[in-house]
Amino acid sequence: MFELLSYDFMQRSLLAASIVGGLCSFIGVFVVLRGLSFVGAGTSHAAFAGVTLGYLMGWPPLALAILFGLATVWITGWVEEKGRMKLDVSIGILYTATMALAILFIGLMKTYNAEVYGYLFGSVLSVTGEELTVIGGLAILVLGLIVAFSKELYFIAFDQEMAEASGIPARRIFFLLLTLVGFTVVIALKTVGAILVFAMILIPASTAYQLTHSLRTLTVYSVIIGIGTSLGGVMISAAWDVPSGPAIVLLATALFFLSLFASPKRMKSVPGHTH
Amino acid sequence: MRTDSIQPIIRFDHASFGFPGVIALDDLSLSIHAGEFIGVIGPNGSGKTTLCRAVLGLMAPIKGHLHIFDCACEELRCHHRAKIGYLPQKGVVDRNFPVTVLETVMMGRYGALGLFKRPGTKDREIAMEALAHVAMDRHKDTALGSLSGGQQQRVFIARALAQQPKVLLLDEPTTGLDITMQHNVIELVQHLHRQLKLTVLLITHDINMIRPCVDRLVLLKTRLFAAGPPSDVLKPDILSQVYGKELVITGQDVVIVEDYHHPH
Repeated sequence: MFELLSYDFMQRSLLAASIVGGLCSFIGVFVVLRGLSFVGAGTSHAAFAGVTLGYLMGWPPLALAILFGLATVWITGWVEEKGRMKLDVSIGILYTATMALAILFIGLMKTYNAEVYGYLFGSVLSVTGEELTVIGGLAILVLGLIVAFSKELYFIAFDQEMAEASGIPARRIFFLLLTLVGFTVVIALKTVGAILVFAMILIPASTAYQLTHSLRTLTVYSVIIGIGTSLGGVMISAAWDVPSGPAIVLLATALFFLSLFASPKRMKSVPGHTH
Repeated sequence: MRTDSIQPIIRFDHASFGFPGVIALDDLSLSIHAGEFIGVIGPNGSGKTTLCRAVLGLMAPIKGHLHIFDCACEELRCHHRAKIGYLPQKGVVDRNFPVTVLETVMMGRYGALGLFKRPGTKDREIAMEALAHVAMDRHKDTALGSLSGGQQQRVFIARALAQQPKVLLLDEPTTGLDITMQHNVIELVQHLHRQLKLTVLLITHDINMIRPCVDRLVLLKTRLFAAGPPSDVLKPDILSQVYGKELVITGQDVVIVEDYHHPH
């Protein structure tokens, strides 16, 4: 298996997987804690609709993916803020509507386009050097913003109204979080695909949630799990010639179920419990 | 407490709050001075929560004016808001959120710090001092979710204190607690009011619990119905107009107001 590591494509794949795994699991902490889990699914399908429109019209697919993804998260955030309807309803409508658009755009294409399906199912083993540069550049931008606003992001995840009352510009931070989710989805689209990127955001943070009562530790665990399962999944994919996206996600899922059994939260006596 | 000559720190001037077509609190004129302990009472839907949101700067008046720290409500900046320590109603916050006691209290520093600044040693010291004020410093590494209801309230009060506020705003701080815990929380608030010279606004249903400790009571029923020392406000004729059947008065001094449950 180790001789695989000497190939350029494998090195690029592992680097892309660790960037995407780390980024998704980091932003996933805020997504899970703020209760925005379904937003990731909606955004990824909206971004895929942008990709399909790009290929149909001959426009840059990544730019349209960002546009569609951001439009979806912003509309979702606006609807939640205005209290017009529950978040899961609005994202459910956008999720299915953008998927319908994607199917429509694919139907309008005159020829079969394998690259479009690459964005749907992901293909980390075929990531090119140029794509890696784009992924890396965007990831540095998103990571930098998460780190810069981490204390505000933690606070709004804990209680947005309390954060606002304490002097945090909570509304703007909430929309920043939605924007960062949108960018993260687009960054991960090529490597794990529109269908599975949601799992990359959700599962590492949910696994870490089972293992700790501390925000800081939760974040560290989530990122370790995200990077570890991404690298493990790519290695499994290359060694046994199975698709990389499912390998990453199924490995992470297995770890999640293991964490349910190992969770200190399941124990009758929680460490540090006081009466 | 004599406050006539002192500039109020919170001043409602014929202020009305609500949404177009729905007035939650109408034509409120009220001044609150530094160092006062105010109890805000009234039946469900009387505008207590609206008053709370207004003081937090989360709701601007649709008519009239509200000045907080000599600043119009709609002009409140983050550093003004950080001067108001807020304890939300129990149940509003997810008590199983994966966070330790110290991490929770440190959040009280975030508003005062401003954007891009990381909490440092000084902030940690302030947070630990706030925990010591509520006698929870030895639980700093304990998971918030594993504490009892009363202990969690203490931690949230410490979070508010970590802001180093001038005003402490408590929304139903004793709801859901057993009677001993209720007394403990109120005694703690009294102690902090005296020791730290905080202005306290305590919103509650429980008149009996707070009447011995407040300087003034503010009685709401979608408008200001009465305000003054407890002896002036807690009169049977005033209370019966506001609470109606929900009011039970036993003896001359004891007033019991309970949530009225309509028979199905």
